[in-house]
Amino acid sequence: MSRGALVAVLTLAQAGAAHGAAAQDGQWSMPSRDYAATRYSPLADINSQNAKALHPVWTFSTGVLAGHEGQPLVVGDTMYVVTPWPNVLYAFDLSREGYPLRWKYRPDVSANAIGESCCDTVNRGDFYADGEIVYNLLDGHTVAVDARSGRELWKTQVADLGSGETVTMAPLVVKDRVIVGASGGEFGIYGWIKGLDLKSGKTVWTAHNLGPDADMLVHEGTFKAPYDAGPDLGARSWANDSWRNGGAPVWGSIAYDPELDLIYYGSGNAGPYNPEQRLGDNKWAASVLARHPADGALVWAYQFTPHDNWDYDATGAMILADLTIAGRPVKALVHFDKNGFAYTLDRANGRLLVAQPFVHVTWAHSVDLTTGRPVLEPSQQTGASKGNVKGICPSLEGGVSPSSPPAYSPRTHLFYSSTNNLCMDYTASRASYLKGTPYMGVNSPYSAGPGGYLGSFMAWDAASGRKVWENKEPYPTWSGALATAGDVVFYGTLDGWFKAADARTGRVLSKFKVGSGVIGNPMTFRAPDGRQYVAVYAGFGGDWALLSGDTRSDDPTDVRAPADFLKDIARHTSQGGIIWIFGL
Amino acid sequence: MRHALPATLLSSLALVACGHHDSQSSAAAPAAAPLPAVRYAAHLVAGGNAAPGATLQNPHAGDAAVAKNGALLFTTMNCDGCHGGEGSGWVGPNLGDGRWRYGGTDAEVFSSIYYGRPKGMPAFGSALGAEGVWTLVTYIHSLAPPEDLPTEAWADR
Repeated sequence: MSRGALVAVLTLAQAGAAHGAAAQDGQWSMPSRDYAATRYSPLADINSQNAKALHPVWTFSTGVLAGHEGQPLVVGDTMYVVTPWPNVLYAFDLSREGYPLRWKYRPDVSANAIGESCCDTVNRGDFYADGEIVYNLLDGHTVAVDARSGRELWKTQVADLGSGETVTMAPLVVKDRVIVGASGGEFGIYGWIKGLDLKSGKTVWTAHNLGPDADMLVHEGTFKAPYDAGPDLGARSWANDSWRNGGAPVWGSIAYDPELDLIYYGSGNAGPYNPEQRLGDNKWAASVLARHPADGALVWAYQFTPHDNWDYDATGAMILADLTIAGRPVKALVHFDKNGFAYTLDRANGRLLVAQPFVHVTWAHSVDLTTGRPVLEPSQQTGASKGNVKGICPSLEGGVSPSSPPAYSPRTHLFYSSTNNLCMDYTASRASYLKGTPYMGVNSPYSAGPGGYLGSFMAWDAASGRKVWENKEPYPTWSGALATAGDVVFYGTLDGWFKAADARTGRVLSKFKVGSGVIGNPMTFRAPDGRQYVAVYAGFGGDWALLSGDTRSDDPTDVRAPADFLKDIARHTSQGGIIWIFGL
Repeated sequence: MRHALPATLLSSLALVACGHHDSQSSAAAPAAAPLPAVRYAAHLVAGGNAAPGATLQNPHAGDAAVAKNGALLFTTMNCDGCHGGEGSGWVGPNLGDGRWRYGGTDAEVFSSIYYGRPKGMPAFGSALGAEGVWTLVTYIHSLAPPEDLPTEAWADR
């Protein structure tokens, strides 16, 4: 295809998106619906009065059995779905009965990526921009596909599979930059984030999340950490150059503030899991980083968990909301961390405003708002010399999984999130680095937290740092959240219930047992028929494919016992990737 | 549970890795054997007649002391990071269920570790040498599957 023809196709696709049958408010063109990562839709046809009538109207098996994280996109009259490995991209025609496919794109993805993935072969979604669908392949590639024809436009290798780098996150596109990062916090990677050119796919910049200033794209005069000063913080806070294999991967979502021109993302755990092999704060693992998207320059960074002892990745969503705190308007960033604290920061400079636990927390007593640092509980610090440290809460599954992005409703001013109520014992041991193999050094069995239930879905007031309501669930809750202008919130459960709840009270308005456990993120759209629908993936997996291997029935040569803290989940669900659409 | 690799085991592995194969393990060094080097007894055979080829035998089969070293090696080489503690299954398949994705004979398990497998099992041949791989094979074959493996029941519990 000539360059001219390519431009013509792109222009057509753009026009199609802009003037499609669905109005703008019915679109969902990026993973979190908006740059602020709110997962809030202004659609209100489905509301707290009529949601009890919700019922499934369409389903489709993706043909893939691994855990289905992420969410569909709807652009114009097309719905786009990315599967876990082998990362098939489906385009459904919403204007025809039965939503037949317009096309599907089947990339050549290395099967080696299956074994280099820490936690199932998941994919967290795609991004629509300028007539292209951009997404990541597990084996370390980013691809752009023409949204109309399904033809591949470019494919760029971004990650090194042989070093344990895989790519599971959804990209974020800002202007002409595609922002991507790699998983691999369990493989001793040197974590990074990259900016690609949207037109050509060429890598424009690479910024590491740890290491010397030059590698981190820290420039004098533009970087200012709110609680730290001095050069090379990302290297000097790691004893014996341990930053070289220090992890700090990127596998969650990215938010963007157009006014400040900053992208916000969390970095993952410090590696290995035995913290005595990397003494120091280990900046900027387990942190939030703010960068300029055009050149990747780091502007500020704040570390949630200094010297991460517990695999507390900070890769969960950074949600941008304008809140009123103590009577003062604040451009806030809200983050529910694996470490069990919910943080409210000033997103202009990274200063901490509120930090309160949203689940049972034992590793720290509180977070000091003056220093920005957690007030640690000495008996809960881990390391190979400390033996078995018992009863640490939350577990390394997190108070909430970063795979389970929360939602924010500007109508209720509340944040909605899944949670896990799990604790762990943690025996660290010396890990040996061998390229391409796990670099961990831990044995960490789980148990139920206080109360005996294992998860919940809750509403949180981030201005005051308190829980407003909570629906306890018998199993860890791993779906993302959706909030709507109809004051209905949506979530799914690990045992396969898809639920609609009243945004103000949490009362469950309707529930339906979908085909498999839900670890995906609900979304909503207006179809060409003018009606509002809600879509969600069923597809048990993620960490649970490993922990509860007895849910799997796909391989007669791999038969596993149930998890001792979760003995009966396989009674209620099994693998299976299915797209569900609900309507009134 | 992990331990540092004993110095004696490390040095013997280093010798193997450097090509100082003793007479016992030279028969087991696939790189030195002519093709087709290995015949897999568990594979189907078109026409009923298997092609000629050697069948590798584990020189340490059933040796409990070697299996114990293999257990240490299993953690030191990060095998447990993918296959779980005691090979109970994690990212990679369960190795203690008596079932085998790529076959469970000495030769097949050796081949899986030495050369790797296409779903992300790395090749450990150069890191471990033949002797190290046989040590792991001995450990893996020492893992006994539970008797009630195929059935998981919940009713009326």
